[in-house]
Amino acid sequence: MQIKDTNRYRHDGMILGIICLVLQLAVAPYIAIANGHANFAFIFATIFALTVGGPTGVGMGFLAGLLYDLGATSPVGLMAFLLTLSSYLLGIESRNKLNDDPTGALVNGAIACFAVCFLYGMTMLMVGDASSFLDVFLTRSLPSFFLTALFSIPFYIFFSRPQSSGATLNRSLGTQMPRLNSTRRRSRSGRLSTKGR
Amino acid sequence: MPANGAQRGFQRTDQNSSGGRLAIVLLATSVILFTVSCRMGDEGVLGGLRSAYQTVTMPISFVGSVAVQPFQGLGNIFANLTADQETLSQLEEENKELTAKNAELEEAQQTATRLQALLDLQDTYNLQSTAARIIDASYDLWSATVTIDKGSTSGLAVGMPVTDAYGVVGQICEVSATTSTVRLITDENSGVSAMVQSSRAQGMLNGSADGTLSLNMIRTDQTVNVGDIVVTSGLGGVYPKGLPLGTVSAVEKYDGALYYTIDVQPFTSTESYEEVLVITSLTEDQEATAEDIAAADSQEVASNSASSSSTTTDSSSDSSSSDGSDSSSSSTDSTSQDSGSTSTSSSSSNSQ
Repeated sequence: MQIKDTNRYRHDGMILGIICLVLQLAVAPYIAIANGHANFAFIFATIFALTVGGPTGVGMGFLAGLLYDLGATSPVGLMAFLLTLSSYLLGIESRNKLNDDPTGALVNGAIACFAVCFLYGMTMLMVGDASSFLDVFLTRSLPSFFLTALFSIPFYIFFSRPQSSGATLNRSLGTQMPRLNSTRRRSRSGRLSTKGR
Repeated sequence: MPANGAQRGFQRTDQNSSGGRLAIVLLATSVILFTVSCRMGDEGVLGGLRSAYQTVTMPISFVGSVAVQPFQGLGNIFANLTADQETLSQLEEENKELTAKNAELEEAQQTATRLQALLDLQDTYNLQSTAARIIDASYDLWSATVTIDKGSTSGLAVGMPVTDAYGVVGQICEVSATTSTVRLITDENSGVSAMVQSSRAQGMLNGSADGTLSLNMIRTDQTVNVGDIVVTSGLGGVYPKGLPLGTVSAVEKYDGALYYTIDVQPFTSTESYEEVLVITSLTEDQEATAEDIAAADSQEVASNSASSSSTTTDSSSDSSSSDGSDSSSSSTDSTSQDSGSTSTSSSSSNSQ
């Protein structure tokens, strides 16, 4: 009989959120290339989207983006919009992609990271908070992308490990998504075991 | 095999499992927030929300700034290691310029401090005065004088007292069109009507050849202690009443003497002379009152009656003709003084 430990996974999700929040507030302002900084809100939203996805991922993306906007000087809602969209697209399959297909998840995450950094900079340029395209792209968007990608590596490695110790968030809110290739888990209807063989 | 549409767990059973509807709602919410934020800026609900959030998260930011400080220093070290010679030369040049500028600014600050002190003095004593700057000093064997950069064209005249922020400096003894010579109170021909502030004992502050000050004509039955402050008495109408002169540094009483031998340490020193105030006129309350004059007269009478040697006194207590010049350079036998009520020869004033 398999025992669900949703409290523990919920606990993991909360810890991830707190870690990313602290890093965003305490570390990100002091680590910069040109005018670009790491975006730990994106890292949090992406991890959630790639491991949980679905409505939960979308909600976490919105929340992370909103907290990012509240701590920044840019207009509120911009990063919330971008992270909501990226979380939806990354988590559209509602499965633990990070565990099932780490390489694909990594590529998707990198593309999403570049897109978010680029679109954020362009929007700031359009609303008049930046002066030129080259300034925005070369000194803000590109450095932000590099730093965010760099800092996301440890998180990707941690959450792409096999699920033996529960290093996953996909059960944190009770979303029971059976793994495609799992031979150990039995679905209630027994169809999974048939499918997986 | 069941129909594919009935498989659970890894196929969406409804559109909500991908979060599409929720995404639409949240995207719309984000757009609204963005629009409102762009229009209202830091005002309104969003501004309040932002400030509240930043207040709550401030401790985390503070801890981060403290934790990162050592590493910021490391970053500077690496940046400095790669600095080229041109950068170093520029920095050295900039350092020299900044050092010179810093010295100028410190000098300006000190000047401002001194001028402020002069202003405070002017306000405290309500002095009708003109500011001047000492441009030359003369410490020859015969006189102790300084030259200031104002003269008759600025309304100055012989006899006007001069003071700085700390106390009385002296009195104008010569005037030209653009400069004036000030005889210092330490000059041996200088005499200032003074009194001990605490006991109101009145006397005469005289300079000497070696630049020391002595307070004369203080009777031995009056109270004087080391550390007492000596101020101008206002008698004679030359110096305003109450201006600081110095502190008593030594008091000696000889057997049978009528007066103390009192040494006074001046508040001002020649090294600090830079900006001064020339008092151009006195107000009524800056002059000695009738009570002061009466007290001085009674003191003089008491000293005369107890004195065994003859003393010549000027009976007019409010004559001002002899007030103005305490700096007569031709006076060599008697002490120059600014008091109109008393004139004594220096040889009889200090009975040994």
